[in-house]
Amino acid sequence: MRLDLFNTTAFRLSVGYTLLVTLAVGVTLGSAYFLTESLITDEVDLIIDTELNSLEEKYARSGVPGVTDEINLRIDSWGRIGAVYMLADPSFERIAGNVTDWPFDGMPSERWPEFEIGTIEPGRRSVHPVRAAVRTLPDGDLLLVGTDISQGRRFADKFRFATLWGIGLSTLVAALAGFWFSYRLARRVGEVANTCQRIMAGDAGRRLPVAGTRDEFDSLAVSVNRVLDRLEEQAGTLRATFDSAAHDLRAPLHRLRTRMDALLMRSPPLEPPVYESVDAALREVDHVQRTLATLLQIALAESGAPLSAPAAVDLGELAEELVDLFEPVAGAKGLALECHREAGAIVQGNRQLLAQLLTNLIENALKYVPRGGRVEVSVRRAGAQVQLIVSDNGPGIAADDRARAVQPFVRVGAAAKDEGSGLGLSLVAAIARLHRGSLQLASNDPGLKVTVQLPL
Amino acid sequence: MHALLIEDDSEAARFLVKGLRESGHTVEHAADGRVGLAQAVSGPFDIVITDRMLPHLDGLAVIEGMRAKGIATPVLVLSALGSVDDRIKGLKAGGDDYLTKPFAFAELLARIEALLRRHPSAPHATRLKVEDLEFDLLTRRVTRAGQELQLTARELKLLEYLMRRAGQVVTRTMLLEGVWDLHFDPQSNLIDVHISRLRQAVDRGTDHPLIHTVRGTGYVLRRES
Repeated sequence: MRLDLFNTTAFRLSVGYTLLVTLAVGVTLGSAYFLTESLITDEVDLIIDTELNSLEEKYARSGVPGVTDEINLRIDSWGRIGAVYMLADPSFERIAGNVTDWPFDGMPSERWPEFEIGTIEPGRRSVHPVRAAVRTLPDGDLLLVGTDISQGRRFADKFRFATLWGIGLSTLVAALAGFWFSYRLARRVGEVANTCQRIMAGDAGRRLPVAGTRDEFDSLAVSVNRVLDRLEEQAGTLRATFDSAAHDLRAPLHRLRTRMDALLMRSPPLEPPVYESVDAALREVDHVQRTLATLLQIALAESGAPLSAPAAVDLGELAEELVDLFEPVAGAKGLALECHREAGAIVQGNRQLLAQLLTNLIENALKYVPRGGRVEVSVRRAGAQVQLIVSDNGPGIAADDRARAVQPFVRVGAAAKDEGSGLGLSLVAAIARLHRGSLQLASNDPGLKVTVQLPL
Repeated sequence: MHALLIEDDSEAARFLVKGLRESGHTVEHAADGRVGLAQAVSGPFDIVITDRMLPHLDGLAVIEGMRAKGIATPVLVLSALGSVDDRIKGLKAGGDDYLTKPFAFAELLARIEALLRRHPSAPHATRLKVEDLEFDLLTRRVTRAGQELQLTARELKLLEYLMRRAGQVVTRTMLLEGVWDLHFDPQSNLIDVHISRLRQAVDRGTDHPLIHTVRGTGYVLRRES
């Protein structure tokens, strides 16, 4: 049996595991990213706040000129890198600072507005993002302090890039590992399933492989092998029991029959009435013997002992041979017996048992279908199965009785008055099961339709 | 004919020996496998009839022992083990025929007869001839007194089997096994119907029929005696 890798528990587990890894890595890196970003922003905000505070103090002490001086001083070499200052009047006109124009459309509504500023550095123009804060001074002038945050932005971009790659790569690695694990698991489970199937198919001596790694598979294999040993032993015991039962019942029947035979062959011959009754008793012995043989056959088939030495049997050909064999009997009863078959309906099995199965089904039909009726035997392939259908237009079996009809010694409908053993269909069911197949009774509207499905 | 019967069931053996002697055979009896093998090896027998399950040495081992000594005497295995597998095992071990207990004594006699005459004088003959019935095996044409008979394929098979054993009683089970390779007994009177059809074709309108029913046993194809 081939296991479909994508339909294994291991595969589903590893898909789940991969998703979990992706989620965990995403959450970890994502929160690190947001945390770092807010730390950087907080640092920037703190500096801006501190500077605003000190400039406000300056303003309180020495007014606009003092602040202007202070700003100019800070813009000069003493100032921190990337610092942006602007003092503007209430109509947003610049009084001092290193920004030429008020960067906002009026008064910004946010507490920490951001804007972009173009700078001219030696050789190139560049645009820098700036994070800022604005305060309104007591006389209505506006004080803006900002910080170039392009470096923080670059850091954040790199961090984000790294985070996304990290998530992607770990997902990929987890997925590959999961695929590999599920492949390995599926292969080992597949080995187990294959072996089990071979055992079912009749290789009763086969056992699951034990790798010697003492892992859970080994322990499973060891346990299953123990069960198989036990089953094989039981099948052996059962078989021996059947053999001795057969022997112990047949031997006395044989002696009985031989004595009766001797009586019938005696000279001078028996008086006719005595001869007749011995002869009738002899037929009873034969009937008992046949019933016994059939019962043992059913019991053996039902014991779960695998079919010994199965060989390829063309069921269509066999059906044709048997229909040919029974055709004169059908003709004598005024019935039409026909065979329709597809080529290549080959099953692994025992020819004699399959012939017995067909014989029982055909004989049943010939027995119950009234004169003028028809019996059809058809063999066809249906997917990985061979379908053997014996259908007739006789009295059929009532729907309620169909399940019971297969049980040993149960006679239903037209068979109730019958002298048959009541084992015919039981044997058919047992032989079908022995071949890993099934038996199904249905209505043929009117009549009976018996379907036997056997694996190719 | 000189037969050796190896059978541990003394009562069954007594009746078989008696029956065989009454049918004109001389019989020696051994009650276990070891003695049986020793006897089979020491004396010339026309046939060995052995039970399958025997004390000391089972029936299949007896056959193997005989074959190992180069003794080709036909062996008929009697067995209380009747499954298909048991049969196959018995024939594989070198048995020439296999009969499941209980069996009709007439069946045993017919089988013995068949084994004794198993080697027809001309196995590769292309024509079979019994009285005025002729069977051309190459063209599959049958004539009776020069008149061609119209026979179906299965009737031809059945007739060939009977003609090859002309003068010999064949039982219904022998026909099922030999002509149709079926090793179980169907319930219907299958063989009787086939024979009566064949009889219609072969014997109709003649004053000396060739196919005869042997009461309680089977059929024989021969000139009326």
